[in-house]
Amino acid sequence: MTLNNPVIQNIINLVLYIFRIIVPLISILVISKCFTSMKRGRRKEDPVVILEDMVSHEVIPVLYWENSLGRSKSCDIVLHDPTVSRDHAVLMRRESGWIVTDTGSKSGTFVNGTKVKDRMQILPGDSIAMGSTALMLKRTSDIKNSKQPKRKVRHAASPAGLLAATTLIQLLLCVQACFAGGKFSYLPAVPFGAIFAMEWLLYLFSMKGLGHVSFELETIAFLLSGIGILLISGTGVKNTYVQLGALFGGVLLFCIMIWFLSDLDRVMRWRLAIGIFAVLLFAANLVLAREHNGARNWISLGPVSVQPSEFIKIAFIFVGTSTLDRLQTAKNLTGFIGFSAVCMGALFLMRDFGTACVFFVTFLIIAFMRSGSVRTIALICAVAVFGAFLILKFKPYVAQRFEAWRHVWEHVNESGYQQTRVLSYSASGGLFGLGIGNGSLKSVFASTSDLVFGMVCEELGLLLAIVIVLTLAFLMFYARSDVTRSRSTFYSISSCAAGGMLLFQTCLNVFGATDVLPMTGVTLPFISLGGSSMVAVWGLLAFIKASDERTYAARRKS
Amino acid sequence: MKTTGSRSLILYILGMAFLFGLGVFLYGFATEGGSWAMQPFNKHLTTGGQLANSGKILDRNNVVLAKSENGKRVYNSDETVRRAMLHTVGDSNGYISTGIQYNYRSELSGYNPITGLASPTGKSGGSDIKLTLDSALCKLALQKLGSSSGAVVLYNYKTGEMLCSVSTPNFDPSNPPKDLNTDKTGKYNGVYLDRVLSSTYTPGSIFKVVTSAAAIENIPDLDSRTWECNGSITINGNKITDVASYGTLSFKNALAKSSNVAFAQIAVELGADKMTEMANSMGFNRSFDLDGISTSKSVYKVDGAAANELGWSGVGQYTDLTNPFHMMVMMGAIANDGVPVKPYLISGITAPFGLTVRSGHTWTGDRLLKAATAEKLKEYMRYNVSSYYGDGLFPGLAVCAKTGTAEVGGGKKPNGWMVGFSSNEKTPLAFAVVVENSRSGISSAGQIASALMTAAAKTIK
Repeated sequence: MTLNNPVIQNIINLVLYIFRIIVPLISILVISKCFTSMKRGRRKEDPVVILEDMVSHEVIPVLYWENSLGRSKSCDIVLHDPTVSRDHAVLMRRESGWIVTDTGSKSGTFVNGTKVKDRMQILPGDSIAMGSTALMLKRTSDIKNSKQPKRKVRHAASPAGLLAATTLIQLLLCVQACFAGGKFSYLPAVPFGAIFAMEWLLYLFSMKGLGHVSFELETIAFLLSGIGILLISGTGVKNTYVQLGALFGGVLLFCIMIWFLSDLDRVMRWRLAIGIFAVLLFAANLVLAREHNGARNWISLGPVSVQPSEFIKIAFIFVGTSTLDRLQTAKNLTGFIGFSAVCMGALFLMRDFGTACVFFVTFLIIAFMRSGSVRTIALICAVAVFGAFLILKFKPYVAQRFEAWRHVWEHVNESGYQQTRVLSYSASGGLFGLGIGNGSLKSVFASTSDLVFGMVCEELGLLLAIVIVLTLAFLMFYARSDVTRSRSTFYSISSCAAGGMLLFQTCLNVFGATDVLPMTGVTLPFISLGGSSMVAVWGLLAFIKASDERTYAARRKS
Repeated sequence: MKTTGSRSLILYILGMAFLFGLGVFLYGFATEGGSWAMQPFNKHLTTGGQLANSGKILDRNNVVLAKSENGKRVYNSDETVRRAMLHTVGDSNGYISTGIQYNYRSELSGYNPITGLASPTGKSGGSDIKLTLDSALCKLALQKLGSSSGAVVLYNYKTGEMLCSVSTPNFDPSNPPKDLNTDKTGKYNGVYLDRVLSSTYTPGSIFKVVTSAAAIENIPDLDSRTWECNGSITINGNKITDVASYGTLSFKNALAKSSNVAFAQIAVELGADKMTEMANSMGFNRSFDLDGISTSKSVYKVDGAAANELGWSGVGQYTDLTNPFHMMVMMGAIANDGVPVKPYLISGITAPFGLTVRSGHTWTGDRLLKAATAEKLKEYMRYNVSSYYGDGLFPGLAVCAKTGTAEVGGGKKPNGWMVGFSSNEKTPLAFAVVVENSRSGISSAGQIASALMTAAAKTIK
């Protein structure tokens, strides 16, 4: 069906343009509401329980879910007792209650006089003895003089309202897609309907079914995924079917991971298996994969091709992070460094340098958050720089990839082809874009994956593109701000790692396509076409979701 | 967990790096977005090889030279006008890099960083560009040039308005030949080149204007001196010849008869330094600018030249090269007491809703020669026409001019030149005409200049 009447055509164009102005504005509103709601919904840093020194009756507030006890100043609870080890024990809160773990102290830890071997449950009224210090666990309410601060009633935005606004954005984008290229088609309603069904079913399942209290992260993820899928529908609706399937798979993985992560003992038990599985997956990749566009990172499983490295990203974080008691006992990073070296080595063999960089940065984040050793990090970076130097020296074809960097306009039709197209068409789009399906970048190779940022700029406008990448940055900042409120260092480190990984990948994608950095060919999280990437990104999101302590809190009955 | 919390601050490094990178991109977007978008490969500018959705280009009388209709670029209905205006207006593909459609594509397409190239109202967001050129004069110039290659350029030396600018060979932008870009026989060689702005030719005798200026300033008893012109003179073992033997000539007559023998001697007498100084002062060895489009440099270079070569350089041969646009400006300067008014092409740029975003103005350029020298040159050049070329060529215009017949060698016929201006207050017109492969300056370029000046004088009155 074509629209030949120029008057009607003009009216439609004007309406679609207004839609493109509205979309980023509602997006800003939804995303800012989501983030403020996540911040406001957090618990105040009030002590949950307290420890009372049985001799001096000094009251020590217990602020976190996992607390290190010891003589060292870096401990959460510092004991001024020379007979206490530097890192003596860890006091942790789990679903079952409070637990004490001895972290290799010299003199041992005793609960009610019994020596703690591995870990021991502790109830209010029980005493913990370390060296010559004895502490008693008490409820906050047991202390008369401790005022229970009045909890302010905080009005967070209604989760259903935010999701409804997201649906509205998707509807506006769907209308855009229906008029792609000056022709009307009902087909884009199919991806819209599928996204609509998925987001509201997940909402009902998690809020009503499981009684979860928050849905902001899922809303943001659906908003971004929806923008990506509807943008891709402009290149042909059938291109979105795999992506919709991947979105479904991603949501499923997200739910499974949220369940899996709920029990930290289970996670810790499975960590080794996950690590071995990841290495085997890389090995399978190297054996089975055939070269595709200069990289060997795809394997075909029947009708679908899978990019194993995307899933190994999740495994990488699983293997890298740990609970506080284990961090205190096993301080060296050797095992993790070895695992990381295997992963990055495999990626180099596959010639997937972009993903290797993503792994490396994630490795740095995890390694620093675990060890806090600037010296180790500096050493590792020095080794990496030396390694990169060797690669450039002995594999000159790698250096060739970078020759056009910052000189793309001198290689417009050769090595700078993709970047110059991205810049040119991004600028053509202005702030509000030329409309879904009306772009020209889509005919350039890798437009929907590596260059998708340019497609967003061209078809939906710079403003929405900035909103998207800033949202990904906020995800990381949110993960960081929530660190000490997580239920375990496992959650806080994994969510920082996931947030950092997503943002660094965003940097490589956006800046590679726009010639701020050399082009490396990684996907833009949530937006790029790529099934494995979509599934993995939702998996990474589960880490951030799990670090929010409200995720596993039952709905507050008011 | 406290330490984990403080260690997590490492993520700020990544966050800052991200914001920095985003800043770099956005800074580029804001400052260079226009040139990013204005690429020949950008399909939004040239859908199907046409400037699909751009503003109009009009001549001084509002004749439409180019406009966009239904996603296509449409040019004037008259093929001769289309061809005459081709190099100024430009082609649809942006191959003519000195054309308005290439240099002002950003204005024409209506690019701005807010809406990019989107046109929410469905109309072209581009601006209309009105030129100072008169398409009828250009058409006449093209008709007079006929099948010859060459350049014709004319402007008002008081206001700076360009009135005529034509370059041949050309093609019809509405129906470009199919083999235009695939042809290997060379029949379209230089077809994208605007000879007015981007070419240089051997000047021949028109260069004697420069030698004369140097003589006026450096030979005190110029008017009382004479030169023996007996057909040829041997300098440094090399013979410099004239068309005929003129006998004893005063300076005035040496210029009017265009005696190579006299002028070669004058150049040698003045020497390389004084010649070079005057040539540089009069605009040689540098570019001129026409609304942001720069011209090719005229060349006068006699470093290490032998005496005979210096002699030849004084009569516009040797390695001398001149650009037609520069010659016109030089004429404007002589007419205007040594200071040229800068020519301009764009009369106005009008954004949608009738907002004028730019308009052409009269600007004075740098002085090219002293007022007294200009006055003297004017007198000699007036004598050229009144006594020699004949005022019948330019009735009532009191034209001062110089012709030239430049030998180009290689078995080709010479290039015919005529440069000059009307010294009449009411018709302040300066011109430069060059015709490749012609018989002589007066018979080829002279005829075109005559027709053009007469027609232009009518429109200006």
